Amino acid sequence: MRVLDQDPIDPEIVATLDAIDATLAGESVDAQYAELAEIALLLASDRPQTPSEFVRSMDERVERRFAPRPTAGPPRRNRSLLWQSMGALVAGVALIVAIVVATGGAHLSGGSSASSSSASLPLSGAAVPRAAASSAAASSSETSTTAAAASSAGTYGSLTAPIVQPPTTGRKVVQSAQLNLTAAPNRIDAVAQEVYDVVGEVNGIVTSSSITQGGPTGSANFQLSIPSASLGPAMTRLSSLSYAQIVSSTNNSQDITNQYNATTAALADARALRTSLLKQLANAVTTEQVDSLTAQIHDAEASISSDLATLGKLNQQVNFSQLQVTINARAVPTPVAHKSGGFGIGRAAHDAGRVLTVTAGGALITIAALIPVGLLVALAWWVGAAIRRRRREHALDSV
Amino acid sequence: MDHPLVRSVGVTETLTRTSSSGTESWERFEELYRSCRDDVYAYVCTLLRDPAAAEDITALAFERAYRRRRTFDRRRGEERAWLFGIARNAALDELRRRQRTATLATDPEDMAEVQEGDGAEVALRRTAVQTALSKLPAREREIIALKFHAGMSNAELARVLGVSESNAGTLLYRTMEKLRKACNASA
Repeated sequence: MRVLDQDPIDPEIVATLDAIDATLAGESVDAQYAELAEIALLLASDRPQTPSEFVRSMDERVERRFAPRPTAGPPRRNRSLLWQSMGALVAGVALIVAIVVATGGAHLSGGSSASSSSASLPLSGAAVPRAAASSAAASSSETSTTAAAASSAGTYGSLTAPIVQPPTTGRKVVQSAQLNLTAAPNRIDAVAQEVYDVVGEVNGIVTSSSITQGGPTGSANFQLSIPSASLGPAMTRLSSLSYAQIVSSTNNSQDITNQYNATTAALADARALRTSLLKQLANAVTTEQVDSLTAQIHDAEASISSDLATLGKLNQQVNFSQLQVTINARAVPTPVAHKSGGFGIGRAAHDAGRVLTVTAGGALITIAALIPVGLLVALAWWVGAAIRRRRREHALDSV
Repeated sequence: MDHPLVRSVGVTETLTRTSSSGTESWERFEELYRSCRDDVYAYVCTLLRDPAAAEDITALAFERAYRRRRTFDRRRGEERAWLFGIARNAALDELRRRQRTATLATDPEDMAEVQEGDGAEVALRRTAVQTALSKLPAREREIIALKFHAGMSNAELARVLGVSESNAGTLLYRTMEKLRKACNASA
């Protein structure tokens, strides 16, 4: 509707309106309003009369209090029902969304540490290959990668140890790793057995082991020697044991190519020297020459033996990676001790408090989810009402 | 024409006054129905210019009012204005529906009738008024219907149209002036 801004109203208009009202009330008006009064009377007398048949029909319907009739009702009823159905549908969807959001929110609040830890593992792992590559290019360097998981209960299921291995093409790299796991106190033995199984599968060696179990605590330590080619699969298996969860893992690597090459060269030199000395010994004439050459040959052979031992040790380090696995018993929340031992007022009050806290938390999350949904629904309703009102007013202008 | 020229009375009580039972609420609705039925029909009939559609819309308006009687808020106006607001919405929806179907059930010229007992001059004048009224746009015809056929005061008219009382008076004045000039032109 067009809104005019004429307040206060013109006195002439007021006088005219008063004359119209007076005319309709059966009062006499000033002569200057006679024409307007006549029109007003004619308009009022032309008021459409309600058909008597319609009056009877309406009276019956009102008497029935608009109870539904077997015959079809006005066409608008169907549309009203449609709107009601759509409203119910929207309300249902909003409720479902609220529940989903509330459930999702509760999940996030309970498992946020798991999500962040999971995300952090690949990130830290991805940063390592670049460091490892640079270390490989250097003469001899060490790389260490540590991934730690949240230690809260229930966050381990999706975690796996990042298997980070430097590129070893043409290089001599020594690898080692540490893996920290947790398990239920009564599962330490089972987890230890799983570790043995994994070592057997990859043809590894248990260098040393220590298992302690009993009561609420327990632990196990393993020093393993794993073929370097199988270190990755072994770590993967060990990080997904049935009864254990990974807490942290550390990967170390050391490039010993230069040391290996130097030892190899020294070995070659020592062998060449021995060969030369042996030739000189064959041509020796005097006893002094023979004794001197013999002593030098002994020294050369000692050097060869030392270099061979060093090379063997280096090869052992390169071919077998050291893996240290530590399993600790997971802390089990101890039940609240009550002096009475059985059900009492204190325990009941404690339980009631817990129930109220959980209920209030759930209600808070639900409200937090419902408020934006409710605001959206209210906004949609308001926009819909405004559009409907505008269309109705437009209908008046276009007739 | 023997129609009284006074507006409907006895509808000042609210439908939603606090009551201990639904009986009182029903009685107030019934009272509203008795006092406003003819006014609503006259208003809708003038607005739509279709007696058959006016019957449907009037029935629909009262049924909606009955269903929503508990939502009526006394602070937002008199129940008579509330009822006419419902009727107005239903009538405008009907107008929209007609625009979509692009049909007019009744020729506006058919509404012009000469009443028995009129003298020749009065009959001529009445015809001129009816013709001028039929040529008014729907928005102005609605104001005439609310004022002269539904018997509304300017304050009620303002509440139904959603404007201030002074604006409603100005709109009525302009419409009457337009009608008067049209009558004089046809004469």
